[in-house]
Amino acid sequence: MTEFPFEISPMFEGERVRKEGMFVELGGPKSIGLELVRSKPMDEIEDDKVTIVGPDIKEMEEGKTYPWAMIFNIGGELVEPDLESVVERRVHDFINYCQGIMHLNQRYDVWMRISKDTAGKLDSLEPFGKAVMMLFKTELPFIEKMQVTFYTDEEEVKKQMDEAMEIFRARDARTKDLHDEDVDVFYGCTLCQSFAPTSVCVVSPDRIALCGAINWFDGRAAAKVDPEGPQFEIAKGELLDAKTGEYSGVNEIAKKLSGGEFDKIKLHSFFDSPHTSCGCFEVVGFYIPEVDGIGWVNREFQGMAPNGIGFSTMAGQTGGGKQIIGFLGIGVNYFYSPKFIQADGGWNRVVWLPSMLKEKITEAIPADLVDKIATEKDTPDIASLKAFLQEKNHPVVASWAAAEEEEEEEEEVAEEVAVPAAPMMMPTAGFQIPAMPMMAGGKSGSGIKVTFKNAKITIDRMIISEKKE
Amino acid sequence: MTKVIAITGKGGTGKTAVAALLIRYLSKKGKFILAVDADADANLPETLGCENVKTVGDAKEYLQDEITKPKPDNPDMNKESVLKSKVYEIIEEMPGYDLLVMGRPEGSGCYCYVNNLLRGIMDKLIVNYDVVVIDTEAGLEHFSRKIIRDIDDLLVVTDASRRGFRTAERIRELVTELDSKVGNIHIIANKVTDANREELVKLAEDLKLDLIGMIPLDPKIMEMDIKGIPLFEIPDDSIAAMEVEKIVKKLGF
Repeated sequence: MTEFPFEISPMFEGERVRKEGMFVELGGPKSIGLELVRSKPMDEIEDDKVTIVGPDIKEMEEGKTYPWAMIFNIGGELVEPDLESVVERRVHDFINYCQGIMHLNQRYDVWMRISKDTAGKLDSLEPFGKAVMMLFKTELPFIEKMQVTFYTDEEEVKKQMDEAMEIFRARDARTKDLHDEDVDVFYGCTLCQSFAPTSVCVVSPDRIALCGAINWFDGRAAAKVDPEGPQFEIAKGELLDAKTGEYSGVNEIAKKLSGGEFDKIKLHSFFDSPHTSCGCFEVVGFYIPEVDGIGWVNREFQGMAPNGIGFSTMAGQTGGGKQIIGFLGIGVNYFYSPKFIQADGGWNRVVWLPSMLKEKITEAIPADLVDKIATEKDTPDIASLKAFLQEKNHPVVASWAAAEEEEEEEEEVAEEVAVPAAPMMMPTAGFQIPAMPMMAGGKSGSGIKVTFKNAKITIDRMIISEKKE
Repeated sequence: MTKVIAITGKGGTGKTAVAALLIRYLSKKGKFILAVDADADANLPETLGCENVKTVGDAKEYLQDEITKPKPDNPDMNKESVLKSKVYEIIEEMPGYDLLVMGRPEGSGCYCYVNNLLRGIMDKLIVNYDVVVIDTEAGLEHFSRKIIRDIDDLLVVTDASRRGFRTAERIRELVTELDSKVGNIHIIANKVTDANREELVKLAEDLKLDLIGMIPLDPKIMEMDIKGIPLFEIPDDSIAAMEVEKIVKKLGF
């Protein structure tokens, strides 16, 4: 291995170069800083070459901040444009392995500092460039050839920045266009298992984690760096049902991570084997049997949903890492998924949203449905919701006529069950009854009525509503 | 190895003043220190003489907002390096020590992911220093969240009252419930006078608390407080500074 004038080790990763010990600062909050990785044909790359455009270390003035851009070109039989962002993420790691060089942030916000100690051992940035490329080629052997250009000249950096912004925009557009069918692996996350032990969080390109914080790309990055960490790969396995989003690999991991509690998770299903709900979810969906539709409440909404329950109560019933039929926790970004609860009608099944949430995600809602979905301003309760949907001719209305005949029969066997009373006869497999908040029994108003319909052996529906006087 | 010292106690006992004196002495001894203000109600930055400091809370909120946007601009953002950058940016670089303010409490969303990133960043940051001195609220929230995992020495500051000692006892109980590892727990009696000195020693013995030091009520501190002079500028021969010096020596420095 080539000798470098500074030490190289992962132990320097968190090293902080302080103002007092700093020779120069590159990019950062006081200037502009850029990093970009591009895939190029093999014959366009001069392997291991470092080019410096603008002042090099020996021409730099101590204590100053310089604009900064670094453009890495990579080539190899397996190198393709989709790998650029994967490789680019590692720039942060590898630069920080170099003693006395601090690298922070990413893309167009890069911030670096070179310590006095390290600068004293360097006349030029060339050995630094060579060290970083050596790390890349050692750790990511699919990179066969690599070259880098460092820019410290303001005009040049600006020019590179303009070009790079276009590239980032195009890359982001591609990223947003990535779907479940385009990848071989999904990612699991167990961060929530500390309080929801059977929670199985599956993150796919078309389904963000419930907390809204972890998407497929985060899963990929984290699993690569620490495969034993809280985010890990799930091989998709066989596609069992495209509509519901059922995969053999996901079912296997569901069984394993829930300790056998569930054997199936269908990624885009609301009713049948839905995703588990940890408690961290940004939004909770709830079935409204009276209109055969689904409403959603976000964490920030303080009021009551038309079923008379607010977010926190519903979250209490839904959370804990179970599959709760009739409730589903999601991240806000899932509303934008083209597969949004597609097993159960997708947007055609959505009847109610708090106005603040509806406003926030309007562009995700199909244009012909926007006015047909009610908010707390239109309908405070079920009766007015029903009238609203009828008036707007919401798609769910078509299903009402068909259900009506059935309904009449059901009414006769409907039975009221006092919640905390006698132990309920529940089917052992299938689903969990939401944990009920304990209510002071008997007093007016606040009681809960649970109605089981068609409940002879199995339960098709469960309705939780405010008890009418 | 970095030594982590946390200072806690009920509000009004003078724990922030003790923290400032400790940082001052360690820094004079040439130790490179990370001072962490982990009490939203405290004022360690002002006591040390820094103002308008940005906080980790702001950095967390920035990232949380960015990543929970309904439609993020860049879904492939390297969140760890962005958060790290924000945290490194808010570290206040003072002569001889760095200052990090934890700041405001979390919003209503789920911070599991952001906190998990922050844990990794803090682990790596701490290694840069000889000593980390944390001024923390009595509830020890940042430790229960394991943002900072292990404490070598926990110093509980109490005023010279029976109630103060009881609080110290409660904190000791709380520590046993924490997942974080805590090496040693010591008590510092603050604002001690000749009238109550003996009684306090006996009280500590009865409660089986390790009384590592007794800081006398120092008129110099009161005078500086009134004039608005940062405690960092206290003269070496003030009686409080001298007692803190003894405590630091007992801690192995």
